[in-house]
Amino acid sequence: MTNRSAISLYSLLALVAVVGLGLTVQSAAAAEKPLRVCADPDYMPYSDQAGQGYENKIAELMAKAMGRKLEYHWASQRQEGGFGNFLALNLDKGLCDVVMDIPYGDPEELYTNSYYSSSYVFIYKKSKHYDITSMDSPQLKHVKVGYELDTPPQTGLKLRGLLNTAVQFHIAEKPHVSPKTMLEAVERGKVDVMITWEPAVGYYMHEFPGLKMVRVPNTRSTGSPEEYLFTMAMAVRKGDHSLKDELDKAIASHKAQIQQILEDYNVKLLPSANGSLYYGNGNM
Amino acid sequence: MPGGNYSVWRYSKLDQINTENVKDMHVAWTMSTGALRGHEGQPLVVGNMMYFESAYPNYVYAVDLNNIGKIVWKFEPKKDPNAPPVACCDVVNRGVAYSDGKVIADALDGKVYALNAKTGKVEWEANEADPKVGQTLTGAPLIIRDHVIVGVSGGEFGVRGYVTSYDLQTGKRQWRAYSTGPDKGMLFDPETTINGATQKPVGKDSSLKTWKGDEWKQGGGTTWGWYSYDPKLNLLYYGTGNPGTWNPSQRPGANKWSMTIEARNPDTGKAVWVYQMTPHDGWDYDGVNEMVLAEKDYHGQETPVLIHFDRNGFAYVLNRKNGKLLEAHKYDPSVNWAYKIDMKTGKPEVNPAKMTKAGVNVKDICPASEGDKDEQPTSYDPQTGLIYAPLNHICMNYQAFNVKYKAGFPFVGAIVNMFPGPGGYRGRFIAFNPMTGKTEWQIHDTFQDWGGALTTAGGVGFYGTLTGWFRAVDLKTGKILYQFHCPSGIIGNPIAYKHDGKEYVAVLTGVGGWAAIGLAQNLHKASAGLGAVGLTAELPQYTNLGGTLMVFAVK
Repeated sequence: MTNRSAISLYSLLALVAVVGLGLTVQSAAAAEKPLRVCADPDYMPYSDQAGQGYENKIAELMAKAMGRKLEYHWASQRQEGGFGNFLALNLDKGLCDVVMDIPYGDPEELYTNSYYSSSYVFIYKKSKHYDITSMDSPQLKHVKVGYELDTPPQTGLKLRGLLNTAVQFHIAEKPHVSPKTMLEAVERGKVDVMITWEPAVGYYMHEFPGLKMVRVPNTRSTGSPEEYLFTMAMAVRKGDHSLKDELDKAIASHKAQIQQILEDYNVKLLPSANGSLYYGNGNM
Repeated sequence: MPGGNYSVWRYSKLDQINTENVKDMHVAWTMSTGALRGHEGQPLVVGNMMYFESAYPNYVYAVDLNNIGKIVWKFEPKKDPNAPPVACCDVVNRGVAYSDGKVIADALDGKVYALNAKTGKVEWEANEADPKVGQTLTGAPLIIRDHVIVGVSGGEFGVRGYVTSYDLQTGKRQWRAYSTGPDKGMLFDPETTINGATQKPVGKDSSLKTWKGDEWKQGGGTTWGWYSYDPKLNLLYYGTGNPGTWNPSQRPGANKWSMTIEARNPDTGKAVWVYQMTPHDGWDYDGVNEMVLAEKDYHGQETPVLIHFDRNGFAYVLNRKNGKLLEAHKYDPSVNWAYKIDMKTGKPEVNPAKMTKAGVNVKDICPASEGDKDEQPTSYDPQTGLIYAPLNHICMNYQAFNVKYKAGFPFVGAIVNMFPGPGGYRGRFIAFNPMTGKTEWQIHDTFQDWGGALTTAGGVGFYGTLTGWFRAVDLKTGKILYQFHCPSGIIGNPIAYKHDGKEYVAVLTGVGGWAAIGLAQNLHKASAGLGAVGLTAELPQYTNLGGTLMVFAVK
């Protein structure tokens, strides 16, 4: 009986060893599979081919956390068809497996858990001493406002009848144009107040010590909701749940490091979208 | 003029090409327009010259018909790079107008050019629209005596729509009538301007009362469609587009006078009557489609009527003297946003389950926002008394408030996905009796029929498909008698003309427009192009971009 038990135990241990070995082999295979990221080769502060953007840094962090080698597929997000085509022609076609920035809840792709939230901001010269803290600040009616075409400020300005006097920018449609030009436009007086996405310009703010940045709060003062705070995630192809799970784990275990990278790029982090008016698929 | 006559019949009295011989039709000559994008216009033939305008960059050509292919002049307007990004639905153009030795051409960037018909030299230019504030020009002008009537595009930017009259000789602005706002700006007389629906004067502040606060300033009601004119009544007719922003929750009220048929005196601009079709629009059913003018028997009385196939799926018949509603029939049975038009109030009975609003997803709305018919003009055949209509047959899902991304900039927007209507096809070409609502015959097409129709005294009708088939059909039976596959899909409008005693049929091919926005702008995500890309995702398997003038003849 004893012997037999011992044998059984050995067999069991051997079985465990084999299964364990199997698992090790599997994760070794996973480790050899690179983390393939689609990124814009020239869109600082997000990414560039030299790996200088915050999306590059976070991609490196994720790859390391997952024990994978980082590989890039470079493609402009700002060519004909914009970000939609960037996703369709690269991520959807399988030329890469991850895109580092997509709003949490965007139904175009499968998205990971969020890894940061930030907001649109007003930027103006400190010397102007404006009292502009929301889209309803009366002074907005008397100044020249700049905004990126087809972004939330456009709707906000339209609702208040300010769109016709505002100046359009097309940063997201022209490859190689830096978001920094938005700050230069304020500095040079082309516009008095720029309303833009903070992570696009925060990185350059130190070059413009005369400029001030104020958060645009969400509002429903016009009777209809307006959202300026967004929660961002990474995108993987629809159906690629295993990669999403792997990324979610890496995000969860590297929160402090992610936050450090974003802070290095002066991305103003805000509490995630609980304060957001809309979240996900049309639920209020 | 762009619509064939002031009544926009797009009917030709020529009858050399008939149901017997059209099978022998062949290509007589062709010519590249030098532009790649959507050609929604038509050539004009004046004497021995043919004039036409391409899509942006809006080349205008004068071609000598005595010397085929000879370009007498080509006009290339200055390009404004600000214009294409704000053009909602491809950088299309709908053609030129001719009068008194001048060719009048609108350019996408808002300029109106008067060109010397002999030399192509600019005689004057006017600024009708400014792309910097989201305005563009895509329509065809209409000339009434010394008035050049021009409308504006840009509803997506909350442009406050208007119509302007310029002096044919000098380009000086004669009047401008807004679609929304105070009576003065709209050229309304509260006492005498009639509301067609009620047959009573509109009263004071008829627009202001239907908007919250100052929202009329972004009221939309753009005027980018076709214009018609009744010389006897001296009335100009056109329709206005969607209210400023799609989200109806942002603009409580009927939003007058968006989505409205307007009748104005072309000498003063004064509004004689107005009839709003889609109050408080929640579907983007712009009311800008053409107003066909005809004389019809209505309860035993010959009545001057206006026939309008609206984007909302109803074919309206109004008394064009006073805007009184006479008939309103669904011309596509799949229409479900409204049950019917109440003949007493003139208002649609809206199906509340199909109304879009903040935070609510709505499925299976028919028609989709491209409408059961968009700008593609119908033709009226006085011999059969029927309207021949190239149509869409499409529905949509509306997903409220999704977050989206635009390279580096997150935003919130509704997502619209369009799909083929019941039966699985996207286009129809029909013969329709507007007085009874009866469809006499129909042809189903795979994609939207986004090109215009032509009828001829030879009993033959012509139209083109999005895949590039140019077709001749028997107007009595709908039988396809001839078809030819053109270099590109057709969203232009055929014309017939006679030269040296011989009948020709001409059409501009060059696919694009909202219908083919995915192909035109090389978009690949289904929800791009305001939801239109997924609808025609397979179109690149059938055709390609490129403007070509096609001219056909028999023998």
